[in-house]
Amino acid sequence: MNVWLSDAIFDPIRIPLDSWFANAINWLTINYRPTFQAMKVPIEVILGNVETFLQWLPPIVFIVLLALFAWRVAGWKIAVFSALAFTLVGMIGLWSLTMTTLSMVVASVLVCMVMGIPLGILAARSDRFRAILRPVLDVMQTTPSFVYLVPVVMLFSIGTVAGVIATIIFALPPLIRLTDLGIRQVSTDVIEAAEAFGSSEREILVKVRLPLALPTIMAGINQTIMLSLSMVVIAALIGAGGLGRPVVEGLNALRVGVAGIGGLAIVLLAIVLDRITQALGEGRRTSTES
Amino acid sequence: MVRSDGCCDANRDGKPGDTVIRAEHLSKIFGPNPSSALELLEQGQRKDAIRESTGHVVGVDDVSFRLKRGEFFVIMGLSGSGKSTLLRCLNRLIPPTAGRVVLETDEGEIDVGAASARQLRDIRTRHLTMVFQRFGLLPHRSVRDNVAYGLEIQGIDRGQRIERADRALDLVGLGGWGPSRTSELSGGMQQRVGLARALATEAEVMLMDEPFSALDPLIKMQMQREMIKLQSELGKTIVFITHDLDEALRLGDRIAIMEDGRVVQLGTPERILTSPSTAYVADFVEHADPTNVITARTVSVELDHDRVDELRREAGGRVIVHRTQSDVEIVIDDDDRVREVRADGGRAELVPIDTLLAEEAPTSRYRDRAAVVRADRPLRTLLEARNLCNLPVLVIDHDERLIGLVTEREIIYSIIEKRGRDALNGDSAEVAA
Repeated sequence: MNVWLSDAIFDPIRIPLDSWFANAINWLTINYRPTFQAMKVPIEVILGNVETFLQWLPPIVFIVLLALFAWRVAGWKIAVFSALAFTLVGMIGLWSLTMTTLSMVVASVLVCMVMGIPLGILAARSDRFRAILRPVLDVMQTTPSFVYLVPVVMLFSIGTVAGVIATIIFALPPLIRLTDLGIRQVSTDVIEAAEAFGSSEREILVKVRLPLALPTIMAGINQTIMLSLSMVVIAALIGAGGLGRPVVEGLNALRVGVAGIGGLAIVLLAIVLDRITQALGEGRRTSTES
Repeated sequence: MVRSDGCCDANRDGKPGDTVIRAEHLSKIFGPNPSSALELLEQGQRKDAIRESTGHVVGVDDVSFRLKRGEFFVIMGLSGSGKSTLLRCLNRLIPPTAGRVVLETDEGEIDVGAASARQLRDIRTRHLTMVFQRFGLLPHRSVRDNVAYGLEIQGIDRGQRIERADRALDLVGLGGWGPSRTSELSGGMQQRVGLARALATEAEVMLMDEPFSALDPLIKMQMQREMIKLQSELGKTIVFITHDLDEALRLGDRIAIMEDGRVVQLGTPERILTSPSTAYVADFVEHADPTNVITARTVSVELDHDRVDELRREAGGRVIVHRTQSDVEIVIDDDDRVREVRADGGRAELVPIDTLLAEEAPTSRYRDRAAVVRADRPLRTLLEARNLCNLPVLVIDHDERLIGLVTEREIIYSIIEKRGRDALNGDSAEVAA
């Protein structure tokens, strides 16, 4: 066949990008593994403490506290639903795994907030920084998570912490984007008024921009929580504990029942967290706007 | 064109001590290279030409004025005339491209343009405060915390902040609304919060950027009345922006009219209305309601004093100044005070207009009572007087000396032409011994 009409045309200019990638990761692993291992420490600490606490807390106490909190922020319907959902989770024997998953979500959301909100503020204040950040966020959101599981394992080894790190990569972008959006959306009228009354840049940020952006930032946190939950099963592939385990086991051993209850628990957890955090955001919105 | 009108006015009026702000040759050009456009501006090119040749937008073009302590200074113009930009140059929310803004305070002069970040903050918290068209309130704060915002920035402690905020809320008629959310309030009430926020800082000068434009007409009128009252009580100096001529005429001690970034006329409302300096201003005032602006002094046919003196020498003592209508005679004494008015062969009673207005209206117009009106009262009062008395209205000065007469003819003329006696002078008054 004519060389010009087949993919052989690329042979002279073929590049071994795959081995370049591999070499880069290997190089990082060999030279900087201790650095990456050290980066795990804060996540380990947060995760360890949250999980120890949640596993220690008697389920009945947890359910009562959760129901009370849900009732305060979201009304009695959500409170009843939350209590029933967690009771069901206990009844199907997944209480402990659910607490592990919940602590993974809490840890990854906390880290996302610590990183995402400041990055969002910077992006809102500098168009240049935002232009640099945007493609990075696009890559983080669109790269299939299986692609970065391998390097994550090589750099951070397997386990729940590695799972949390993979989760953070996936769940961080919307919080940054929504923080940026929320701050940029604050009306110039209000900012001008604050300026006219002598406010400094920092005062405008703290007293005007952030409070007014809060509903949007809360929506970002809600998104981050939902995305964290959607990573539970994938994180289990690299050895993370929690509700992903039964699903992966069920997949491997074709045990439909085990996978089914694991999936059900994830869905219930997602609904409860979504409704409560949404109400939290809207509660602020109504208390600020009505 | 009266390019330097504002400047001249300023020089004439400015006595040291009563000036609060001096704006000196302010210009503002928006665009990437303002100084190049500024040169063109100084060469006398106009806004449109500069935009076409360089793409720069001229916001303010060589504006100077002196703001007098305690005056209500209105800047009026259509949108795009540069009035909001000019206002923002005063507190440097928009830094001017050229010219100076000088604040005259008890502690000496402050050049706003040269102020450091700290000084600027001090200027904005203590000297110049501001009220905005779209209120600019913080929706996440209570009414009280909104009002206290400026004080919070000044670092005043919470107890005192609340006290001063509540006092300011009382002033604007919102006492007791402190704990509410701003979004629970109507537009008019929200602007009162904006006003209270400005008052709470106790700054001497209030910059008001079309504060009532977003309000419906009734609320707007009410706010204007209260604004006049507040200013007379608190003695604030106010720079007030509007695109509404009637509002400008109602509120302003002086009005600066802007077109294409320049002040084309600066003067009292009556002056603007009765002698517009350019066709642009004339267009503006054409549909204005003159009845609250033009004064009785302007409307009345003034006494011809030379003639009166001449007659006095001839006749000695009392002089009859008016006999155009059948059998109406107005007799004045040596001090120009009205002695008597005779109509239809009888003597008419002299009654101050306010007394007449307080009484019940007569079924037909009086011919045995003549209304007396002070010279500074508006045309509207003359209309009311003529509505009650079918005799010439007697216009007097503060010493009760007769300065002129008003009949239907003068009233109609001043409403149609928005001008006064200068055109009619001596035409209808007859002076006889």
